[in-house]
Amino acid sequence: MPVAMLTAGLLAGCNEDEWLERTPKDRLTDEQVWNDPNMILGVLANYYDRLPQLAGVFNTGASAEFDDAMWSGHTDQNSHNDLAYGDSYGRYWDYDFLRDINLSLENIAQHGGNLTDEQKKQFNAELRFIRAYVYFELVKRMGGVPLVTTQLIYEGGGDPTPLQVPRAKESDVYDFIYDELEAIKDNFNATEGSRTRANKYAALALQSRAMLYAGSIAKYNALMGAPIATPGGEVGIPDSKANDYYQKSLTASQAIIANTEYELYNPSSGSKGDDYYKLFMDKSAKEIIFAKDFATGKVHSFTYDNVVKSFRVDIEGSSMLAPSLSLVESFDYLDGSSGALKDKDTAGNYVAYEKPEEIFAGKDARLYGTVVYAGSLFRGEPVDIQAGVAVWNEAEGKYSLHTGELGSTYDDGKPLTGFDGPKNDYQYVSNTGFYIRKFVSENPQDGVRPSLASNWWPWFRLGEVYLNAAEAAFELNGGGANYVNELREKHGGFPANSIANLTVDVIRNERRVELAFEDHRYFDLKRWRIADQVWNGQEADPTAVVHGLYPYRVIRAGHADDGKYIFDRVRPNRFRRARYFRMANYYSSIATAVLTNNPKIVKNPFH
Amino acid sequence: MKKRIFLATVFVCSLCVSCEHDNFDAPDAVLSGRVIYNGNPVGVRSNGAQLELWQDGFALRTKIPVYIAWDGTFHAAVFEGEYKIVRLNGAPWENQPGDTIKVTVKGNTAVDVPVTPYFVASGVSYQKDAGGITATFTVQQASASATLESATLYLSKSIITDEQYNDAKESVPAASITPGQTVTVTAAIPESLTDYLFARIGVKAAQSSERCYTQPEKIQLR
Repeated sequence: MPVAMLTAGLLAGCNEDEWLERTPKDRLTDEQVWNDPNMILGVLANYYDRLPQLAGVFNTGASAEFDDAMWSGHTDQNSHNDLAYGDSYGRYWDYDFLRDINLSLENIAQHGGNLTDEQKKQFNAELRFIRAYVYFELVKRMGGVPLVTTQLIYEGGGDPTPLQVPRAKESDVYDFIYDELEAIKDNFNATEGSRTRANKYAALALQSRAMLYAGSIAKYNALMGAPIATPGGEVGIPDSKANDYYQKSLTASQAIIANTEYELYNPSSGSKGDDYYKLFMDKSAKEIIFAKDFATGKVHSFTYDNVVKSFRVDIEGSSMLAPSLSLVESFDYLDGSSGALKDKDTAGNYVAYEKPEEIFAGKDARLYGTVVYAGSLFRGEPVDIQAGVAVWNEAEGKYSLHTGELGSTYDDGKPLTGFDGPKNDYQYVSNTGFYIRKFVSENPQDGVRPSLASNWWPWFRLGEVYLNAAEAAFELNGGGANYVNELREKHGGFPANSIANLTVDVIRNERRVELAFEDHRYFDLKRWRIADQVWNGQEADPTAVVHGLYPYRVIRAGHADDGKYIFDRVRPNRFRRARYFRMANYYSSIATAVLTNNPKIVKNPFH
Repeated sequence: MKKRIFLATVFVCSLCVSCEHDNFDAPDAVLSGRVIYNGNPVGVRSNGAQLELWQDGFALRTKIPVYIAWDGTFHAAVFEGEYKIVRLNGAPWENQPGDTIKVTVKGNTAVDVPVTPYFVASGVSYQKDAGGITATFTVQQASASATLESATLYLSKSIITDEQYNDAKESVPAASITPGQTVTVTAAIPESLTDYLFARIGVKAAQSSERCYTQPEKIQLR
């Protein structure tokens, strides 16, 4: 009897098809994800988090690989100071990400039956913005890449050729970016005013930057002795397209500048230097157009990495990025003179200063907001930057320089070496005499693991758009001085119309100063085609070698300079190799696996 | 107890046995040679130029970079077999990506790789005089399509002398150079060099960031 019942039960169960077709409890179906605005928002958050960077989003290590800074952190990462840009430096080939985006676009169209048209439009625009951003990152590093905008599906049959997409022309990729952003810029209906999700002005800002890059590549590549190009145009943009690109960039920039929602950060209270610093820390700043936000639970270690040595609260870290003397000197004086520091007079003798900060007096206020230098304040306290003492040697008629351990005292009972160094050859203390202030939090707790810091990363801000507008206007018709002057006045504290005669060099220097450590330097030098001249690999060239400036206290009894400070230019020992950017670095090499899998892909020049 | 010892012995033995399976032989052949133009080795920047070595017939197909030493020689430890040598651009000579050189490596194999530099300096002579070191040489155009950028005299304390590592240098722009005619350039001797120095000429074409160098020459200063 029981056997019969069991058998009957089994038979009955088998007839129930529903028993086999149950909703899985450990995964989400396409219908569940792509038909629910909240779920799609979750996917978008993941994509926003994956937006690519080279030396951005608080990437301390990569930021120490150009001429704006050297690495002063742990010695096991001294490779940042001993860097030969390899053929693959800057390589980026994230077609996984592009496939995810293409899949999302198609799935929302296919499964999103419950979404309103407005919602679909919004999500579609955001996804295509992210895709355009990724293509921009690809084209600026690799040149023209395969333009894949739909899922590639293998149909079987052993023939992979339909999946092998050849590289598009470099100009085609820039055109694609422009056209995509044109098509979507008016489709954002739910993110107006948002600083962390894409909207019309984020799209315009990307247009402004991408078109400026395309214009300058078209113009300056053609001016090279031997322009870098492939026969198929995968690399190299014809000179004739430059003006069109510059015009598109200028139009986009002007549209952003005309919108009162965005303003150059310029609160009336406080010093200009503090204001410039706060621009990056104040999440209500109307200058930020599009940022990557951080919050408790989603934090970054930039303050832990880079806090001034004696201000660190964690047991490790601090001081990893040490800004270079050449960056400090690129900040002009407010009176309009060039920024070279007056450490020696014309006869070659040291100039003595009453207080160490006096050598930096009268500089562009953005210097204070970007760099912590000797005699400046950090977290409201003075920093202790002093390399040692300079004792006058009467017999030899020159100073002999003495240094000690951090926080040491000299025979005269006064400080020898400060708690913040600089100290040549040491780790976790500046090797250049400078610390970075930009992006480093004033809150001590932000430098402690694991809670860390949550200030945000600006992908796009109005200051950059002003400089984009200035450069595009200058290249088109020699205009643009008004944009540079307004920026210098509001951010740097310069008098009105401080630049009467705008030149290419002024624009380039202004970008270095205003956008320091914001992931622009490497790409700017590349698109101007001067990276191989600035980073020329020569050990004797101060633009290719990071230098420091060490303050010493003078001991010279009976002399007017006694007790004052002199400054010594130093080539830090930890900086091992002059930056050397070769022609091959203008476009990174494509991975062998990619070339092998897709025979239609042509190699980049020099690889 | 005996069982434990037995197990331990088996375990230790198994360790020894397995070692043989995951060890590979090291490359046992050496491919060496020179990069030549008109029978003479072509000087390059130390660590600057490279040749590509490819081997067909294996699943993992990736290039083996072969760096060329400052004097134009190269050495690579490889397995015996058939290889293809590719001359890349980015070096001071013409790009010949489609024109590979096939070489069979068996034991120690020497091969000369002919290249076409953009420009070469020839007939170099150095003279020490009151102004420093004066070099006299002729720049010759080896590649018809190339554009000359400059020629430079380098002085250094070591035999590794090039654009990156030098103690003094003096350049002549293309405007003052006529290929085939004598060029003279003088560089002051840096104070740090007192006993001897090495001198070398590098010629740069617009087509490449690398220069084509002459062989360094040692000059006694006293």
